Amino acid sequence: MADRRVSLSLASVPRAVRQRYEQRSDRLTRTRSVRDALLSLAGLAGRPVLNQAGEQIGRLVDLVARWDGQEVYPPVTGLVVQVGGRRAWVPFEAVDHVGRDSVRLRSARLDLREFTERPGEVLLAADVLDHQLVDIEGVRVVRPSDLYLTPVEGRLRLVGMDTGFGALARRLGPARWRSRATAEQVIDWSDVQAFGTGAGSGAVQLAAPRGELRRLHPAELADLLEDLGRAERKELLDLVSPEAAADALEEMRADELEELLSESDPGEAARLIARMEPDEAADALRDLREERRADLLARLPRQARSAVEVLLAQDENTAGGLMTTTMIRVTAEQTVAQVRDLLAAQVAHIADIDSIVVVDEDGRLLDDVTLGELLLAEPGTTVGDLVGPPWPVTVPPGASVAEIAARFGESRRLSVVVVDEEERPVGRILADDVLDMLRPPRGKFHFPRVLS
Amino acid sequence: MTTPKPTAETAGAADQAADQVAAPPGRRRWWRILVIALAFAGPGLIAANAGNDAGGIATYASAGAQFGYRTLFVMLLVTVALVVVQEMCARLGAYTGEGLGSLIREQFSIRVTAFALLAFVIANLGLVVSEFAGIAAALNLVGVSRYVSIPIAAVAIWALVVFGSYRYAERLFLILSLAFLSYPVAAVLARPNVSEVVSQTVWPHLVPSRDFLLLAVALIGTTITPYMQFYIAGAVADKGIGPAEYQAERIDTIGGAIFADLISMFIIIATAAAIHVRAPLESAAQAAHALKPVAGRFAEQLFAFGLLGASALAAAVVPLSTAYAISEAAGAERSVGRRFREAPLFLGLFTGQIILGASVALIPGNLIQLLINAQLLNGIITPILLTYVLVLANRKRLLGDAANGPVYRVVATACVVVVAIMAAAALAATVLGWFGIS
Repeated sequence: MADRRVSLSLASVPRAVRQRYEQRSDRLTRTRSVRDALLSLAGLAGRPVLNQAGEQIGRLVDLVARWDGQEVYPPVTGLVVQVGGRRAWVPFEAVDHVGRDSVRLRSARLDLREFTERPGEVLLAADVLDHQLVDIEGVRVVRPSDLYLTPVEGRLRLVGMDTGFGALARRLGPARWRSRATAEQVIDWSDVQAFGTGAGSGAVQLAAPRGELRRLHPAELADLLEDLGRAERKELLDLVSPEAAADALEEMRADELEELLSESDPGEAARLIARMEPDEAADALRDLREERRADLLARLPRQARSAVEVLLAQDENTAGGLMTTTMIRVTAEQTVAQVRDLLAAQVAHIADIDSIVVVDEDGRLLDDVTLGELLLAEPGTTVGDLVGPPWPVTVPPGASVAEIAARFGESRRLSVVVVDEEERPVGRILADDVLDMLRPPRGKFHFPRVLS
Repeated sequence: MTTPKPTAETAGAADQAADQVAAPPGRRRWWRILVIALAFAGPGLIAANAGNDAGGIATYASAGAQFGYRTLFVMLLVTVALVVVQEMCARLGAYTGEGLGSLIREQFSIRVTAFALLAFVIANLGLVVSEFAGIAAALNLVGVSRYVSIPIAAVAIWALVVFGSYRYAERLFLILSLAFLSYPVAAVLARPNVSEVVSQTVWPHLVPSRDFLLLAVALIGTTITPYMQFYIAGAVADKGIGPAEYQAERIDTIGGAIFADLISMFIIIATAAAIHVRAPLESAAQAAHALKPVAGRFAEQLFAFGLLGASALAAAVVPLSTAYAISEAAGAERSVGRRFREAPLFLGLFTGQIILGASVALIPGNLIQLLINAQLLNGIITPILLTYVLVLANRKRLLGDAANGPVYRVVATACVVVVAIMAAAALAATVLGWFGIS
């Protein structure tokens, strides 16, 4: 699959999104009073837990938060406290006050219950701090170096995270530095897409998707998918709609896509491939190992499979391998209005359609009518009226990239039609597909992840 | 064999795009076969053979020159440890889908993580120094002074990486480094005393001397390099190898480790058979003697080519991977993969290591000894990172049923403890040596 990183359109989309975000004023960490009251999770861990009389009964190990996605800012439901050799669970109702460097409980007595993880809850320090998250506003994958909590309406809630280097440095230093929230690069929790409990820990639970995920451009989603670890990537794919996931896959780098398709469940991978454009799907499958490819192909729906198989049989550097089989074929008798209905039905593929092919009764190519011509024609006229110069530009399936590029150069068209020996159209090549092939790989320095 | 080659497969993919335009289909297929072959080689083979870089060649050759076949038993033990360690790392990568650095950050406290990273950075800095020393030693053989060759090599490697044509140079270096595949042939042609080779390999023994201890730790350091553990876990995760494909990956990992150590042992045998005066290696020219049975009077040139290729390859890859690890830990990683020149932290770290590594290699002194000392440093640091690997691979919460079983746990712990004791002894011997006590 060619590397499709449309940086121009990419840069403009998030800016608009970002401006929209900046106008929002209801975010908690933006208000000064909340900022001053922020409690640092890294600073709280290891602090003494006191009873009502002020005597130390243990040390704070972790905070437990509800993680069912019902609320934007997850509430803290309890504490894990190290008492002697045991890890005890203290429900938040038993907590009187959480300060910067100690926690005071309501009663002198403590009902020591052994801590066990419950579904719908996470350990903030063990499972969220230092684990991958998505900063939706900044469209990037981050690792929080600190989490910030603050009391909101009587509840201690997770309101933000810090990704700054200062927060890391603070945690490296002596204990008394730790509790002061530096709050230099705070991201409000409403802009964060969190995940379940991450890699390895068997009981994977899903976080609720943020609505803002829907606003992401496919290329942005692709960037996020490339940067996430395996468990988080799977979760993000599950969180977005299958269509959005398939669009994002089309934008991913070839090697990252290969990794994703190799590691994911075959049924799921096949469902995603079935929703991709056939040419992109064929490119993706081509890179996979033999058995994996056969397995995924067998799982595709019949129609998608045959389309992909045709493309797979072609050499990927010829017109046959580059073309997409997504095409609208019409006959000369059909009216312009009918053609527009056909286009409306294919709206999902509209990015791959810049003109429609007109064929005779034997399926041979008569003309290639651009969307512009259709737009200007009267709805009542027939397609036959539109047939005429400029005549279509065609290439045989065996044409090389250089030949195709030359045809584009001569004709100045946005797409060319691939025809077989009998002049029957079999697919279309868009100029951007050729562009991907011609672009030198410079500047795309890739290195395997060492730390992610 | 060759130095780490993380870019090989990805580079191949990207190059296809470039080749597609100019090259006729015939040539492209040839590349495709190469790419498939490399993919088939697998992360395990590539990672383990990273041990046979400039520092490795120098250390193995010196072991053969100084102690004859007597270090072969140590190499047998090192092979067992290497197999165990690489298997654990590959398993961590396959079952979690994450690299070692990421796992350490998620599973340990920030201070413990920082310590691991520091150890990794120091070990890798040692490697960078040794790669530049390797380049200097190689070019010395063809009559170029190190004061000329090191600065030029540093600037050239920096420019190749930053301006993006490194990928083509990488192929040249790779082909050059294949010269070391002639070692097994040389070892056979040199007619070593087979019964002695076998008995020294399987008969448990150690030589009770300070020099032997230091060399043994250098052997450990160059064979079980921290860099390799990070590489294999990351590469397995990056290839999308999951629990289902792990059995095949396990074969690749174990086979790769054994293959790499066989090459290492052939280097020791070839050198031991070629050099009869038992003394520490003084120069690359001496080491090149071992290739005489294969290359005759061109032995020095063959050795120089191999050493230059292996060193130049790693001189770019090792600082890159260190810079990557630190950038990621600092949370600035995501600019790296995309637009290299827009990542100031990454570029600064890369440049800094090249400058530091080249500068240390320029300090007058014996190049071969410098190479071996860098491996000694790696050997002292190795047990620190092995401890992290062991703890992670033991964790049920992380790996579930794939965590180390009781027997495996004992074997792996024994490996780490033995390596740690030897490293501690070597460290003590070195420090005492500074004060003139030995």
